[in-house]
Amino acid sequence: MTLNLCVLTPNRIVWDSEVKEIILSTNSGQIGVLANHAPIATAVDIGILKIRLANQWLTMALMGGFARIGNNEITILVNDAEKNSDIDPQEAQQTLEIAEANLRKAEGKRQTIEANLALRRARTRVEALNTI
Amino acid sequence: MACSNLTTMWVSSKPSLSADSSSLSFRSVLKCPTNTSSPPSRASSVSPLQASLRELRDRIDSVKNTQKITEAMKLVAAAKVRRAQEAVVNGRPFSETLVEVLYNINEQLQTDDVDVPLTKVRPVKKVALVVVTGDRGLCGGFNNFIIKKAEARIKELKGLGLEYTVISVGKKGNSYFLRRPYIPVDKYLEAGTLPTAKEAQAVADDVFSLFISEEVDKVELLYTKFVSLVKSEPVIHTLLPLSPKGEICDINGTCVDAAEDEFFRLTTKEGKLTVERETFRTPTADFSPILQFEQDPVQILDALLPLYLNSQILRALQESLASELAARMSAMSSASDNASDLKKSLSMVYNRKRQAKITGEILEIVAGANAQV
Repeated sequence: MTLNLCVLTPNRIVWDSEVKEIILSTNSGQIGVLANHAPIATAVDIGILKIRLANQWLTMALMGGFARIGNNEITILVNDAEKNSDIDPQEAQQTLEIAEANLRKAEGKRQTIEANLALRRARTRVEALNTI
Repeated sequence: MACSNLTTMWVSSKPSLSADSSSLSFRSVLKCPTNTSSPPSRASSVSPLQASLRELRDRIDSVKNTQKITEAMKLVAAAKVRRAQEAVVNGRPFSETLVEVLYNINEQLQTDDVDVPLTKVRPVKKVALVVVTGDRGLCGGFNNFIIKKAEARIKELKGLGLEYTVISVGKKGNSYFLRRPYIPVDKYLEAGTLPTAKEAQAVADDVFSLFISEEVDKVELLYTKFVSLVKSEPVIHTLLPLSPKGEICDINGTCVDAAEDEFFRLTTKEGKLTVERETFRTPTADFSPILQFEQDPVQILDALLPLYLNSQILRALQESLASELAARMSAMSSASDNASDLKKSLSMVYNRKRQAKITGEILEIVAGANAQV
């Protein structure tokens, strides 16, 4: 028996097919989901989703959202998602450096919040490339 | 030569008058000045007519070119409208699933009192207006309508004694507010040619941080709602707080909501947060009644509501773009029709003048031939 994974963003369906296993970053840590997992609803953090197909792993950067699991179906709603194959390494690295610089220069509560979010997003995209 | 001919004619036709040579010579003198004056008048009359014809021909050519351009822009706008609609359709599974999930989550959470920052209603002292305009013109009054709507809302807020700030999305709005330093603008953002989650996220981040840090107490979204290809209207939606239906008042109890304000689908029943159910096109599995929550309900909603916020903003951007393209389609269609009518009338004027010129030339030739006889 396999899981059916569906990853939705506001402007497209990123993934909609069967998988063997996934590892998902939630607000309270990473969870692994295999077939016949108990029904669960969880908030998804900005982080990496690992997908195991027949004999290989794929990674995907998720930008925060929500996931529900039940009846061997996983539905993940995120603001944005990118497969590691779609991410440009140089652009991602530059974005990370820019985000780090912005965080150091941030003043006030608002700018710090924004800079932190941008940094976490940029770091996730870089990690999605490096994770195997 | 013409004078000598005339003299001979008079002599031959009336021999009885040959004795009165003085009167005959007088008549000859009278004729000569008339003949002398005709060449300069002919030259002067031809020049302005030819210049006028050339101007008319140039004008007709430029109108033709304008028509080609407006026709092409109309077709491009039509293609882009189709793409914008496809983008909305592509986003539908997300919206439908999100609404369903919110509905189910709230069903499960009915027994709990949930306190979520994005739904917190505070006394309104300051309002943020997110104004969505287009990047380019040639789309009728599209940009002007939304800007006028924003100005009217700003006037209302001033009348109520509230502070306000503007978040401008789109080049037209940006240039407008840049020229008016007296209007406080928090941020200028770009809309891009086809809005995606990234553009919506930029707006959502700004709005989120403004609201959470309590710099503003309410966020309103002004954009043009796409009704049909021939109709669209500027609307004001309350974006934050994601609040129940009803009036939002400031500390004095005065209503600050715009009359045509609309709330999103989040509503309350008996004080509990809930979502109005929509008809789903895509079938989805039912939620299990024994669903577990990995985190606190507050955390779950904290994760869901920003998604909702983002999707609402993206929806507004997409509708605004579709409205802009539809307006451009209409404007360019009207321009093409006007160019066609203008070309027709100019061609008529040109042909009439050309015929008049040819007729004049023929008359001159005939008169000349008669004079030769």
